[in-house]
Amino acid sequence: MGFNIGSVDPLFLACFAIVALPALAFGTIMIFTWRRDNLSLGISLTCSTIPLILAWWLFFTVKGATLAEPIILQVNWMVSDAVVVPFGFHLDPVSLLMLVIVATISWLIQIYSIGYMEGDPGFARYYADLSLFGMAMLSLVSASGMVQLFISWELVGLASYLLIGFWYEKFSASEAGKKAFVVTRFGDIGFYMGLVFLLYFMKDISLFGLGIADINNIGLTQKLTEAQITLCALLIFCGVAGKSAQFPIHVWLPDAMEGPTPVSALLHSATMVAAGVYLMTRLFPFFAASATAMAVVLAISTITLILSSTIGMVARDIKQVWAYSTISQLGFMAMGLAAAGLAHGTLFAGYYHLTTHAAFKALLFLCAGVFIHHFGTNDFFVMSKDGGRKLMIPMVTVTIAALALAGIFPFSGFFSKELVLAQLWHLDNKLWVGLGLFGAFLTAYYTFRVIFVLLFPRPDDHPAWQTYYVREEVAGHGHGAHGHEEEEAHGSHGHGGHGDHHGVPWVMAFPLIVLAGFTLVLGFMQTRIEKFLLGESHPHELNYLLLVLAVGCALGGIGMAWLDWGRARANWSGFLSKFPMLENFFIQKWYMDHFWRWFLNTVIYGTFSRIFTYNDRRVVDGGVDAVALGTIGSGRLLSFIQTAFLQLNLLFMVLVLAGVGIYLLMGR
Amino acid sequence: MLVFNQLETYLYLALILFAIGLYGVLARRNLIAVLISVELILNAAMINFMAFNRFVAPHPAVGQVIALFIMAVAAAEAAIGLSIIIAVYRKLKAINVEQATELRG
Amino acid sequence: MTEHLASFPYLSCMLLSPVVGLFILLFLKEHQRLAIRMVSLVAAGISFGLSIYTFVSYDKALGGLQFVEKYQWVKAFGITYFVGVEGMNAPLLLLTGIVIFTGVLTMWELQERVKEYFIFQLALVTGVFGVFMSYDMFFFFLFYEIAVVPMYILILIWGSTRKIYAAMKLTLYLMAGSGLIIPGILLLYSSSGLFTFNMLQLHAVQFSPWVQKLTFVLMYLGFGVLAGVWPFHTWSPVGHVAAPTAVSMLHAGVLMKLGSFAILRVAMYLCPQGFQYWAQFMGLLAATGIVYGVFVGLAQTDLKYVIGYSSVSHMGIVGLGLATGTVDGLNGAVFQMFAHGVMTALFFSAVGYIYDRTHTRDIHELGGFSKIMPVASAFFITAALCGAGVPGMASFWAELLVLIAAVKVFPIRGLFAIASLVIGALFALRVVQNTFFNEPNPKFTHFEDVSPFLGLPRMILIGFLIFFGLFPQVMVSMIKSSIVPFIQGM
Repeated sequence: MGFNIGSVDPLFLACFAIVALPALAFGTIMIFTWRRDNLSLGISLTCSTIPLILAWWLFFTVKGATLAEPIILQVNWMVSDAVVVPFGFHLDPVSLLMLVIVATISWLIQIYSIGYMEGDPGFARYYADLSLFGMAMLSLVSASGMVQLFISWELVGLASYLLIGFWYEKFSASEAGKKAFVVTRFGDIGFYMGLVFLLYFMKDISLFGLGIADINNIGLTQKLTEAQITLCALLIFCGVAGKSAQFPIHVWLPDAMEGPTPVSALLHSATMVAAGVYLMTRLFPFFAASATAMAVVLAISTITLILSSTIGMVARDIKQVWAYSTISQLGFMAMGLAAAGLAHGTLFAGYYHLTTHAAFKALLFLCAGVFIHHFGTNDFFVMSKDGGRKLMIPMVTVTIAALALAGIFPFSGFFSKELVLAQLWHLDNKLWVGLGLFGAFLTAYYTFRVIFVLLFPRPDDHPAWQTYYVREEVAGHGHGAHGHEEEEAHGSHGHGGHGDHHGVPWVMAFPLIVLAGFTLVLGFMQTRIEKFLLGESHPHELNYLLLVLAVGCALGGIGMAWLDWGRARANWSGFLSKFPMLENFFIQKWYMDHFWRWFLNTVIYGTFSRIFTYNDRRVVDGGVDAVALGTIGSGRLLSFIQTAFLQLNLLFMVLVLAGVGIYLLMGR
Repeated sequence: MLVFNQLETYLYLALILFAIGLYGVLARRNLIAVLISVELILNAAMINFMAFNRFVAPHPAVGQVIALFIMAVAAAEAAIGLSIIIAVYRKLKAINVEQATELRG
Repeated sequence: MTEHLASFPYLSCMLLSPVVGLFILLFLKEHQRLAIRMVSLVAAGISFGLSIYTFVSYDKALGGLQFVEKYQWVKAFGITYFVGVEGMNAPLLLLTGIVIFTGVLTMWELQERVKEYFIFQLALVTGVFGVFMSYDMFFFFLFYEIAVVPMYILILIWGSTRKIYAAMKLTLYLMAGSGLIIPGILLLYSSSGLFTFNMLQLHAVQFSPWVQKLTFVLMYLGFGVLAGVWPFHTWSPVGHVAAPTAVSMLHAGVLMKLGSFAILRVAMYLCPQGFQYWAQFMGLLAATGIVYGVFVGLAQTDLKYVIGYSSVSHMGIVGLGLATGTVDGLNGAVFQMFAHGVMTALFFSAVGYIYDRTHTRDIHELGGFSKIMPVASAFFITAALCGAGVPGMASFWAELLVLIAAVKVFPIRGLFAIASLVIGALFALRVVQNTFFNEPNPKFTHFEDVSPFLGLPRMILIGFLIFFGLFPQVMVSMIKSSIVPFIQGM
């Protein structure tokens, strides 16, 4: 792309720098500086700080970009005949806000990782991968066309593969990385097909750029029938489900905990999983054009919400709990968007929840990271025993984040969850809002299960430990396998020594404080953000009944958690232990992993792969070999003519020649 | 001697030689004898060429040149044939055609 | 097509450089290893340089056939030495240059019969260059056969794992293919009535429909054998496995492209109506190959077999692109030929390095290689990701173009091809995980990683993959400059 820098729009240049600098960092570190940790760190930090500044600058200075009339800056990336792929940036409030979120959180996580990953042999590679992740996500957020978005989407998947499998010496880590890549890829194929179908239906070749604005106009211009839109929307939703871990392809996300904890924080807040919901927001007008698709999305996201909340109630790895909470919150966001689509609402509720969630979920994971880093275990019961509550900063911040997650006033989660529930309330069928409230209740319960266990450690002779040890054996078959793995991987890299000194290094504490600040402030920014996004702020008529119900559910959940886990006499068994069948069902994660394992082994490997291989060996190759053997066999058959009696052959030759000669002479 | 001055005499001579040679090739079991018989066939052909040259196409070069060629070919053939025979002898300790049966199907 | 004569015989130099190198090698002694390698490297390097030069300096705006050289050879039969470059063969000449240059570097450590090896390899590559640049059917076929024959010897002498079977199978298959091609060529030659083998002149002739249909299917099947079209693909995985590293690189990287290029250049160009008639059939075989290749590859445990079947699948994408007969599809197909060539060369190059040391390619036995040879593993993983169609690599764009074009023309087959992408990812990652991310096998822990010198050829390959992944327009505009007139002429 040979263009003169002077003649280019500075806005384009700024956007380009946001995307290109992290990519540059990735390339430089991977090729040149991968043996030099500090230099790599410097490069990576520089290349994430500048985009951070630029993103905030854009956020405050770009005026006149609205949802209806975005600023689109693009150049042609590839021009084939009908296929024209632009490369560019689609700036509107949605993308500007998300740019800021992504740039900020990935920057904070880079800072945090200085402490967390210190001394790891793959330090430089880690920063290279983080840069790639940042670049892919920033490009995804700002992409002007669907092809560019898809490319970034895949790169996000690639980066997550590299980061989840970062400690690749561990088989389970690389297995988890593979699972994440393949499962999300499974959804992406749906996405790809959706795009291709869209083109096929549009028949409008000039649209090939598949600009986001163009797609969003489809619903308005009514070029396609409703059935066609539904099909495309559902296929694209497959991609969303893959990335945002919606039922039934959510199975990769809990396993993705195999990566370093800061990666989980990044993955769960602003990048990987957010990409799915972001895409839904991005294409909200398009999705909203099909009520059927929206209903399906609503159903799927509700299932996801309930499923993951119930699993979260029985997990005992702190990262697992947060992972399932992420899935449930993603379900919440998708519900909000779907309900808005059904009830002709705006994308604000779901997107706002995405925003607040990004902050408090990053905070939750980073706090978990501090605990894990400090105690060398993922099991929060053990953390509690070893004195988790003595770590002041993370303990305070994790509680703030947990309150936000549970939806307690005045933390940010309260406001956004309230909005989502309000959207659900508008639906005719009150079942959805009921399930949403139930989800909120479960969320509060499992969140505070962790918090109470951490806050109120039991002495060693407390009866609760009995229950704990009994349970450990039961759970051993389910998720227990994940329990202590990070500890091992981590310990082997020389982190064991940190157990002695108390206190948290400032590089790790600083991001916690910043994020806690966001968690506190974001709730009160609601109207401003809404105004920024939609151009106007709808005054919310407060629905007191709903408000009471929601707060009641959250408080009920916390209260329940107090009864089961918090109070001094609680024996840590949880109300679920009254229903052993149900509990086991949850511990086995609704048998979804089993299902997919069966599907892969039996259907893919066992059936198709085997049949085709057999066909190749026997039928195709067998046919070829049969031809060869047939040639040999017929040779054998005819070889009786070869008597090895030379003179007989000669006699025959002479006779034939004589015969031919006589024939020719007579014929004349 | 009129008899020696006409074409037919030489053609008959060549025919007889050819027939003897052919018989030798087909009937003798000794490889040396077969080789000698092949020489007879070549000689028959050569006599034909010379005879036609003398009586039908009296241009001096053509027939005689081909006769010379045949001699050269015969020499080469004898050399190759004898070397094959020696190779066969080394392998089989015999030069009987009937014993060379390795190529039986 | 307009022809622009060359001011300097670049193409002949490209073609003759390996030949000259080959003759110099004949006069060297076996023990002069360094001299042998240097001569081969220089010969390959000149070709590589010239192929880059022609790629870069081809004037896309001018279009047509450039760098043309034309000398009459046998007037009576209308045989001319006629070579040229246009948008669709420039990338393939570049590909050949890349692969032969990196191939010579890859085989730097060869110890056994070095001289003969490089002689045959240079002979092979001469044939390949010749096919890509010839516009005379006689020379086209002559070079095609020249490219096939040394393969037999290369596999037979320097190969491994069932090499005699593989060499025999490969040669017989390709000979059977040639057996179909010759009647096709002669049918066109005789029914044109022009007594010329010049493709451009033959193109101007309107052959009768049945001649076109018959010739097209003969040539499609004949060339299709070399292109690994399903179900004539089984020689290729076996051949890849048996061949030595650089030969696998040339074989999968370049030789298979000869087949698909010939389908485009000869069969489709000369028999457009035949193509229209058989397009559905082509699409069917190609789509079957795509799906079939990934599934069979999933069950393999030998690294080279895995790559061999991925080649079947990727060549299916080329076939599908050709079958669409649209500008996008053909652009994608030619792009995929290039991308797949570089990618498989990288694959085999990485596997070859590992195999040379461990003497095994079983993915379960290798396990955990990323600890032992991180750089060698990185090369393989890059290739695997490229094979899985990760964006940022050249093959993503090629697949994108082909699949979009395919869905427009053959919706169902196109969708199957897209669906196989997910299996492709599973397939690539399964191999990567088992081979590289596992417990290291203690047998192999003493091996050293790739030295920078041996890393160089792999870096060149990765460089090309990423360059064209980031700037696809360079390639697409090049291909398009000849595909657009090509389609108009059909």
